[in-house]
Amino acid sequence: MRGFAKWTVWVVVAALAALPGWAAAKTLKIGSLSPLTGQYAADGNDIKQGVEIAIAQWEAKGGVPGYDEIEYLPQDSGCDGKQAVSAANKLVNLGVVGVIGAYCSSATLPASEVLMEGDVVMITPASTNEKVTERGHKLMFRACGRDDDQAKVVVEFLSRELKAKRVAIVDDKTTYTAGLAKNIKKFGKGKLEFVAHEHVNQGDKDFSGVLTKIKATRPDVLYMSLYNPEGNLMAIQARRLGLKAALMSEDAVYHPNYLTIAKDAGEGTFFTFGQPPSEDIPEVAAFIKAYSAKYGKPGSYSAYAYDAANILLGAVARVGADDPGKLAEAIRATRMQGASKYIQFDEKGDSGSTYKVLVVKDGKFVPYWDPETGKRY
Amino acid sequence: METLIQQLINGVTLGSVYALIALGYTMVYGIIQLINFAHGEIFAAGGYIGVITLSLLNSRGVLESHPVLGLALAFLLAMAYCAFLAVALERVAYRPLRKASRLALLLSALGMSIFFSNGMMLCQGVYDKAYPTQLYATGQFTVGGAVVSYIQVYIVAGAVVLMVALNLFVNRTRLGKAMRSTAQDRTMSALLGINANRTITITFVIGAILAAAAGVMVGLYYGSVRFDMGFVPGIKAFAAAVLGGIGNLTGAVLGGMIIGLVEVFAAGYLASEYKDVFAFIILILVLYFRPTGIMGEQVDDTRV
Repeated sequence: MRGFAKWTVWVVVAALAALPGWAAAKTLKIGSLSPLTGQYAADGNDIKQGVEIAIAQWEAKGGVPGYDEIEYLPQDSGCDGKQAVSAANKLVNLGVVGVIGAYCSSATLPASEVLMEGDVVMITPASTNEKVTERGHKLMFRACGRDDDQAKVVVEFLSRELKAKRVAIVDDKTTYTAGLAKNIKKFGKGKLEFVAHEHVNQGDKDFSGVLTKIKATRPDVLYMSLYNPEGNLMAIQARRLGLKAALMSEDAVYHPNYLTIAKDAGEGTFFTFGQPPSEDIPEVAAFIKAYSAKYGKPGSYSAYAYDAANILLGAVARVGADDPGKLAEAIRATRMQGASKYIQFDEKGDSGSTYKVLVVKDGKFVPYWDPETGKRY
Repeated sequence: METLIQQLINGVTLGSVYALIALGYTMVYGIIQLINFAHGEIFAAGGYIGVITLSLLNSRGVLESHPVLGLALAFLLAMAYCAFLAVALERVAYRPLRKASRLALLLSALGMSIFFSNGMMLCQGVYDKAYPTQLYATGQFTVGGAVVSYIQVYIVAGAVVLMVALNLFVNRTRLGKAMRSTAQDRTMSALLGINANRTITITFVIGAILAAAAGVMVGLYYGSVRFDMGFVPGIKAFAAAVLGGIGNLTGAVLGGMIIGLVEVFAAGYLASEYKDVFAFIILILVLYFRPTGIMGEQVDDTRV
């Protein structure tokens, strides 16, 4: 009798455990990693919102075939490897099929190791450090450009168009900024003279000390290899100290915040950024319309995150998400016009760089120089 | 030489801000032996009230016609709000724990710091808020080749005015006398008819007013504020207060100046990424040879 009671209990437990499986709808879980709080929260929330717009559009079209609903699990990874790893572990445990993220390369690299081990596909919308796709991971993709391409454009622009000789670089020692600085020095060898290479910390507010030191080296160009809030502050302080050098920065400082915060001090600053395609392209116009209706003007990485989510959901719609290897192959085979560029992946998982030089003119980012033609717009 | 003068100017500006915040730490410590960790957040709140007021006035075009009046209003509102915040903070988080162990009080302070920081994030968002700096933070002159901007002069001058006012208040007024006596011996001064609760509240209010002024100044100087801007300056100012001898007003000002100058000179002549390290090395060295800080003394009766 006791044996029977025991069996009955087991059967009931098993049935209860299985029940939710029958009752609940089949859910497609996707996650994202980006800094939602802290100093890089501006770009991080742009990424989250870009993914949300893509999901909303799929849901409006009737969802992803084979799934009843899409569950989106945005995680706060900060710009920090440790936080990103724990967020990635959480996503693996939650059973996501794919992750959009992270933002800082120094967060993407360690987080991707966790996701790769958990057989989860990762598409970064913003991490441009080369190593992201150079490690041979089959499940790792990148929707934005690469820093070695970015650095080449910077060197070409500085030496050929601006005819600059003396260049001072500041980075914040993180994977992305230090990597970019290293690339610029590598490609600029013999073409540019690097008169200073200084480092600051993420979260610093006062750069007067280091800028005074740089000013004494009389640079033609101050290259700010930083992230957004620090870049804004450095531009203001550089001009306040009377530094006459041209300012140049990259795709992490490139954000509408630069215009509102640096104001006059930011005028004339050059940026490299993957130039958004013409708004005449229907996919681009549709994205900007949908995003603006909900969140206002898209941030720098909104379109990349939107594209990354569409790449992932499109691939799931074609081959399902049961086999990560197959899903990755479907992503690799993606050919589509995105909101950020035309997407076509190579063997490594890169989707091509479209870096152009922009300049701040009258409080706006204006295209300035095209590296392909070597001419100004 | 030009670089040296420039770095000196940079350091004094930064030091003035640290000194203003450090005064709040040191006064509160002097009177209730509490390290008020939420003080950095009060500084940040001051910065936010400043940006809200100035942006509002700017959007109505008032700043164009009355720039000085607008700025004065921003300072006054920030000071008033921070004073209110500090009174509420003391009432809610510190007064009920006055008889409890100092550790409980300290944890309460840490908790309030996190609460305020996240509260600001929730109400004001995670994005940087830009100050309408174009009216105030422009213009400069040169001294021996070094560039001094007017905003730096305003910051240092403002800090000096506030510090002198504080000094007069503490040493020349009845309330200041009450503060000093409460700091020396709360029980005895209560027996002599000094309302300890009121005196403590006033101490918090004065600390908050100085922090609010520093918040608006920093907002104008750096051009933007963010919800977590109170944390790092809070820690630095705390270090400055300890360096100068916690509980001692002159010490706090001296400590703030030293931390500011060391930071700037370390960035300029050694390595910018380690500027905080050098600031804290100085702190450790001073505490090693003078555990009570530069101006601190063993006996308790020099507080405030």
